[in-house]
Amino acid sequence: MGALATMIATKTDAAPVPLSAGKPRVVVVRSKKALLKNGHNAGYDADRGALRAMVDAGLVALSGQKDATSALAKYFRPGERIGLKVNGLAGRGAATHVELVDVISVMLGQANIEGRQQIVFDRFARDLKTSGFSSQPRGYRCMGNDESGHEDALVQMPSSASRLTRVLTTLVDGVVNLPILKQHMLAGMTGALKNNFGCIHNPNKMHLDGCDPYIAEVNAVPEIRSKQRLVIMDALRPVVDNGPAYQPGMAEVANVLIFATDLVAADTIGLGILEDLRAKRALPTLTQAKMAPTYLAMASKLGLGVSDRAHIDVLSIEV
Amino acid sequence: MVSRRDFFLTCGGAGCALAAGVSAGTILVPAKRAFAASSPRAYPARFWKKLPNKRIECGLCPKHCKVEDRERGFCGVRENRDGEYMTLVWGQPCAVHLDPIEKKPLFHFLPGSRAFSIATAGCNLECKCCQNWDISQSKPEDVDFHFMSPEDVVAGAKEYDACVTFTYSEPIVFLEYAIDTAKAARKAGVRATMVTGGSGEAEPMREALKYLDAVKVDLKGFTEDYYQRMCKGKLDPVLKTLEVILASGVWLELVHLCIPGQNDSEAEILAMCRWVKAHLGADVPVHFTRFHPEYQMKNVPPTPNATLVRCREIGLSEGLQFVYTGNVPGLAGENTSCSKCGKVVVVRRGFELLDMKIKGGRCGFCGNAIPGVWT
Repeated sequence: MGALATMIATKTDAAPVPLSAGKPRVVVVRSKKALLKNGHNAGYDADRGALRAMVDAGLVALSGQKDATSALAKYFRPGERIGLKVNGLAGRGAATHVELVDVISVMLGQANIEGRQQIVFDRFARDLKTSGFSSQPRGYRCMGNDESGHEDALVQMPSSASRLTRVLTTLVDGVVNLPILKQHMLAGMTGALKNNFGCIHNPNKMHLDGCDPYIAEVNAVPEIRSKQRLVIMDALRPVVDNGPAYQPGMAEVANVLIFATDLVAADTIGLGILEDLRAKRALPTLTQAKMAPTYLAMASKLGLGVSDRAHIDVLSIEV
Repeated sequence: MVSRRDFFLTCGGAGCALAAGVSAGTILVPAKRAFAASSPRAYPARFWKKLPNKRIECGLCPKHCKVEDRERGFCGVRENRDGEYMTLVWGQPCAVHLDPIEKKPLFHFLPGSRAFSIATAGCNLECKCCQNWDISQSKPEDVDFHFMSPEDVVAGAKEYDACVTFTYSEPIVFLEYAIDTAKAARKAGVRATMVTGGSGEAEPMREALKYLDAVKVDLKGFTEDYYQRMCKGKLDPVLKTLEVILASGVWLELVHLCIPGQNDSEAEILAMCRWVKAHLGADVPVHFTRFHPEYQMKNVPPTPNATLVRCREIGLSEGLQFVYTGNVPGLAGENTSCSKCGKVVVVRRGFELLDMKIKGGRCGFCGNAIPGVWT
């Protein structure tokens, strides 16, 4: 387990673990049944039953509630419009799994967030399509920012300025951040924080200097920050090197989902998992490779969350 | 041939923003030859090389973006598609505008003539003071654009007896389109000019210069710190580009937008003028222009006239022959004087040419040659 060795092993049928005061909780859920190798769909299919069990366990552990529906009710009010921010840029194989989004969509429905109130969104409609997402007859709608458009008004940040997607500003009340965990040659890693580059019109201007401080500053934008309710990070099969594009040889089955409400903490734990997977392949650490995601510390400095692992309450669950 | 009737006036989308940012002039969109589109077409890009794992490295500008499959470079208009680099702006301008050439500004290039000006989305810099950020800091999908072939552009320019000018955003990011259009222009006997930040690589710039007749470069500052902090760029490549342009023989003019407290110190202006004289020569016109609060610098006041006057004085005292003030109609420093007899040979106010005493490229009073393109 390497960097995750300090985590607390918890069984799914155990009593909820009380939240630690002052520490953000991150729940790491593993299931050997999540991905099934079958020779198509980039080599693997995700099993919806296994994913449902993982999400159930993750939400309960994260929220301290008795079941997943109660957990979702803690994060979302009935009738709210919810954005499901996926990462579909790299296409199937290195995008948020459709099956995971489907499972979460159904669970939101059970928490009185009907399908028509759910919008799966990303930068381009094309990316959603090639990642396998399509609007469901009685379920969520899919929308690229190129379809919704961006606000005319600029949001000024210390180092840059952006226009926000109208999905975020006008179509949803809250967001489930559904990143995929990947190594990224410019940012070091991509997770929940970087996923919010998909909320602005000009992420191409923000990949200089390891995306630091740009990722942190984007996440500090009030319109973005205030709508982040929940992170469910898809680390089922992270791209461990030469990312963020999909290359079959660089995708490593980990069968992990990460749950958090603190984006910085979620990414910090995701980074640990990524480093473990890299170590298994005898790859250098991201720091050694001069690709350390320094934006995590910047995000912490801006008060967006916790990047110090010692101050994160991590629960590890096997289902 | 595009007739005047084929054009209509419009003031919507990017065009409207452009009009606000650049001037309240006429936005021209060819009604018959172009049609609005919602998603950009992709054309093979030039000036790049393949890297392992379907990655590519762009060679168009000094950023040398290493771009993953399905990703775009810093400019936002060039995309890696399955290991092939594509431009998403070839033939797809989002602004088409008829301007006086003085607005570029080009003061020693066919005074009083018109510039059929086009731009696409995208830029390889991000200047905090950008007047046209609506298009320069946008992706092709974010703006209204129209399909317009190089031949269509040239026909439009010819109809208005204008040169073609690549401007407003950053022509370097649509260089393939600019080159093809400039080639078509030369074939048709139409001049082609470019307004650029100059942050390009030498090889593509040399290729473009083969078909250009004049270039105006924005020398935005004269310190690396300024370029990095204010433009997300670098100074050194711009200076190299200036030398490439000079060596090509294509007519060159410089503009320095003076931003209070940012790039207008006497030391910086002095260093810049000395560099220009030493590396480009005393005959290259230098324009010191007034800043207006825009984009990310709305909290900075406009440049005081006194600053522009002082910058001009520094340039002249350093031996530069043609130093102008700009963006302040009526301020001393808009006219061209003969470097030998000192008499005014071109009288201007704002973008308007009022009088010209240059004949055959020579001073109408003393016969001294005035550098520039006059006929």
